[in-house]
Amino acid sequence: MHEFNWGLLIVVYLFLGGLSAGLFFAAGLANYLEVDGQPAYPRVAAMGALLAPWPVAIGSALLILDLGNWYRFYKLFTHFRWESPMSIGSYLLTIFTGIAFVYAFAWLPEAWRQQLFAKVPATWKQVHRLNMDLSPYRKVIAMVGFPFSIGVGIYTGVLLGAVSARPFWNTNLVAQMFLFSALSSGAAALLLAMVLDKRSPIQTHETKFLITLDIVFIVLELFIILPYLIHGQLSVLAVKQALWLILGGPYTVVFWVFFLGLGLLVPLGIEVSELAPSLLKGKAFHGDRKLALVASSLVLMGGFLLRYIFVYAGQVSSFHKMGMLH
Amino acid sequence: MAMKKKRYALVLDSRKCINCKACAVACKAENQVPVGNTRNWINEARQGEYPKLRIDFEPEQCHHCEHPSCARVCPTGATWMRKDGVVLVNYDDCIGCRYCMVACPYDARYFHEESGTVHKCTLCSHRVDKGDLPACVETCPSKVRVFGDLEDPTSRVHELLATRRYRVKEPQTGNGPQLYYLL
Repeated sequence: MHEFNWGLLIVVYLFLGGLSAGLFFAAGLANYLEVDGQPAYPRVAAMGALLAPWPVAIGSALLILDLGNWYRFYKLFTHFRWESPMSIGSYLLTIFTGIAFVYAFAWLPEAWRQQLFAKVPATWKQVHRLNMDLSPYRKVIAMVGFPFSIGVGIYTGVLLGAVSARPFWNTNLVAQMFLFSALSSGAAALLLAMVLDKRSPIQTHETKFLITLDIVFIVLELFIILPYLIHGQLSVLAVKQALWLILGGPYTVVFWVFFLGLGLLVPLGIEVSELAPSLLKGKAFHGDRKLALVASSLVLMGGFLLRYIFVYAGQVSSFHKMGMLH
Repeated sequence: MAMKKKRYALVLDSRKCINCKACAVACKAENQVPVGNTRNWINEARQGEYPKLRIDFEPEQCHHCEHPSCARVCPTGATWMRKDGVVLVNYDDCIGCRYCMVACPYDARYFHEESGTVHKCTLCSHRVDKGDLPACVETCPSKVRVFGDLEDPTSRVHELLATRRYRVKEPQTGNGPQLYYLL
């Protein structure tokens, strides 16, 4: 029986890190879009900005707890090793989390900000100096953050893809797959959060924007998964044997039914059927609340399962043991 | 006289192996390897069916690769390679992320629960530095294991590799493994 060195905590972390990257990207993009000189999706931008830092913060905490010596995590930052994706990733992650928190702060409603600082003792003058309005700098912060959000999205895939000993991971497609999955999870999470927000119901044009964004990312993800499967089948024996894990092996059902079917194609179908009438026939977009709820939840589940399948199946794959699996 | 460059390696004449596992026991005793973990082990490969049957034994451990992927992925540089080719873990710098275990093509590393760090074969560098042989080499009753310096033309490993056919495991990973199996 193969022992798994990386378990569920790593899966959750990879999902949450990607989710934050996707949320930041979608929110930053919404911040830049305008109609007639007015911001087109200010509420999407605000919601995304306020949500973005939390998943990655929780994920990083889980990552640290997963270490054999969690209190030694600071050693990640006393060394820099450019050949180690994890080393580069820890710096990327830290910078991105910082930017995401600053960006969230820039979007914090005035009243909330005053409430927050009211809790800080008045004698802490240095802290009160931070009580400033960053809203004019939102676009700048978003622009600075874009490369880091993309970086975090890619890095979660590179972490696995750079391991030459695991043929299931070691292709140049895993990084992009994780990136597009992260961006699509971010758009879906934003849609889910806005649908669930009862105080200010989501508006049709916001649903349309998020659904369109999600469709684009899911289609891009599909265009990575298909070549991953095809090229893998046409590759050397070790890669072919590794792919057996999802083509008949123990991860087949979870890959085809739960990830590709329920987590990707079904939500894509729902979203396309919602968008197509307005796109092709010029009909008004309705944006059914329940369908948006179902589609976005399924996309999030799919994003999680993709990481689950890759972390576990990848560790089983190897150059020297695969022959025995058959 | 200038110090000559050294490159330690193990040559394994695995056809002599009788699967007595004395090497594994010696290693465990020498290096206080916890129960349930091993730094070296013996692979068994069965072939055919009775009465046409054969079984091969093949000792394995850390290959002390020329280009160790474990050292490359280590985020803190805790895994490093000595000038003589021995790949070691600096336990003080190891944070226990287990990336190296995932990156090792030979699954030669284990997680040491008590210290929360990753351990592996050290080629008994504490013994070698004193001029002794690694514990597994010293104890092997059927003389499977030959330890030595590849850069030394008078060494037994040098002679064996010059005169016998051999193979290394999974060279396609690009790690440059340094366990030589005689054919």
